[in-house]
Amino acid sequence: MTTIIVQPSGTEIHIEPGDTVLAGLQKAGYAYTVGCRRGGCGICKIDVLEGTFSYCRPVADTVISEQERSDGTCLSCRAVPTDDVTIQLRDASLRLANPLLGQINARARERAKAASTAPEEQ
Amino acid sequence: MGIMRMGYAHVRVTDMTEAKNHYASTLGLYETLEDTSPEGNKRVFYKGWDEWDHHSVVLEEGGVGVVKYGWKVENEADIEAIEKKAQTFGLTVERMAKGENPEVGDGIRFSTTSDHVFEVYHSQTAIGTEVGTHNPDPFPRHLVGVGVPALDHSLITCEDPKLMERLLMEVFDFYATERVQTSLDDDHDLVGTWLTSNNQIHQLAVIGGPQGKLHHFAFRLDDWSEVGHAADLLTMDDVSVDVTPTRHGITRGVTTYFFDPSGNRNEVFAGGYLAFPDRPTNVWTVDQLGQGIFYHARELNERFTSVLT
Ligand code: FES
Repeated sequence: MTTIIVQPSGTEIHIEPGDTVLAGLQKAGYAYTVGCRRGGCGICKIDVLEGTFSYCRPVADTVISEQERSDGTCLSCRAVPTDDVTIQLRDASLRLANPLLGQINARARERAKAASTAPEEQ
Repeated sequence: MGIMRMGYAHVRVTDMTEAKNHYASTLGLYETLEDTSPEGNKRVFYKGWDEWDHHSVVLEEGGVGVVKYGWKVENEADIEAIEKKAQTFGLTVERMAKGENPEVGDGIRFSTTSDHVFEVYHSQTAIGTEVGTHNPDPFPRHLVGVGVPALDHSLITCEDPKLMERLLMEVFDFYATERVQTSLDDDHDLVGTWLTSNNQIHQLAVIGGPQGKLHHFAFRLDDWSEVGHAADLLTMDDVSVDVTPTRHGITRGVTTYFFDPSGNRNEVFAGGYLAFPDRPTNVWTVDQLGQGIFYHARELNERFTSVLT
C-alpha cells in the first residue's frame, strides 16, 4: 500500500497504486488549489519532503525546471508516488471537501495497516 | 478593412498523441497536415468544418502555451499598411516569406508589447468548408465529437494591458467592446480589455498578468444548447473541465472552459451581442469582475486568473 502523509498536520491518506498524488487526495475526499490537472500550469506544485515519485506523462520544461526535478518539487497532478511520500502544500491548504470519501479512505488505511502488521502465520 | 480575423492559433503540446485525440476526436477538428517544424518538432494542422482556409489551429510538440497567432487581412496592401503602423508604434517588424508557415503566403511578423508573436498574412490555401458553397447543408452530417465549426478568439495576459490595447487599436485598428477598469475615473488602471475589428464581440482579449502567456483560445458554437452538449461530451471523454456552462457578463457570451491534455485552456463560446465601432464601450468596475466573468456564480474561481500556460 502507498501512504501520503501531509505535513504539517500529519494527515495520512491511503492511495491506490498508479494514482497521481492529486487523484489520491481527491479520491480520499480532499481538495486544494489545482488548475489544469494536466501538468500545464504548475499551480498544483507541492514539496515532497520524503519518498519518491515519477511523472506518468511528459511535463513541459517551462512548467517544471531542471532544478525543480531534483529538489523535491512535485507537480501533484502528474506525479505518481513510487513509495510512501511525505508532502507539504505550498500556498494552498488541504481541505476535507468530501467527508464521506474521507471516512472510506480512513477505513481502507486501517485495513491496509492491519494487513501489513498482522503477525506472520505460524 | 485590414484585419479580418484571427486566422490561426499555434500552440505547444507536451504529447502529440494525446493532443490529437483531444483536438480531433473530442473537438472534431479536421487534420489537414502533419509535418516536422524546422526545429524538428512534430506539428499537426487543423481546420474546423466551417472554415475554408487550410488551418486555424497548429499544434507543435514540446512544451505548453502559445507559439504565435496568425491574423488574416482582407487585401494584400493591408500587410504593408500594418507594417508601417507597427513601425510607427515602435515595433520591430520582419518580413515573412510564403511557405514559412505551410500553405500561408507572404506577410509580416512582430513581437507585441505583451511578448506574443503575431503574424499578418493575406493568403492561405483555400480548402473550402465541409458543406461547400453550392446549396450547402447547415452542418456536415458526420461530425466528430463536439464538431466545432471554427476558431473564435483568444485571451492572453501581459503586464501592461493599456499599452497592449493601444497597440491593437493603433496597429490593427481594433476597437474595445468591453473593458474592466479599477475605477470610472480618468486615471483608472485597465484590468482587462476585449477588442475586435468587426462585428464579432471579441477577437482578442487581454488581461493583466505575466508577459507572453496564454489564458485560453476558443472555438465558436451557436447557442446554449450546443455549449451544454459540448460539456456533456467533454465529461464523457474525461476532459478536465475548468468551468461548466455559464454566461459571461462581459460580452454576454455563453461558455464552457476546459483544458487540453497538456493543460492549455480551451473554451467553447456562443453568442455575444453584435459589436459596432460606434457602440459605447461597456465598462466594468473591478469590484464587479466576478459577475463580469461568471455572470451566475458572480465570483471568480481561484483558477481563472492564475492558471495560464
Ligand atoms: S494543476 Fe496544472 S500543472 Fe497540475
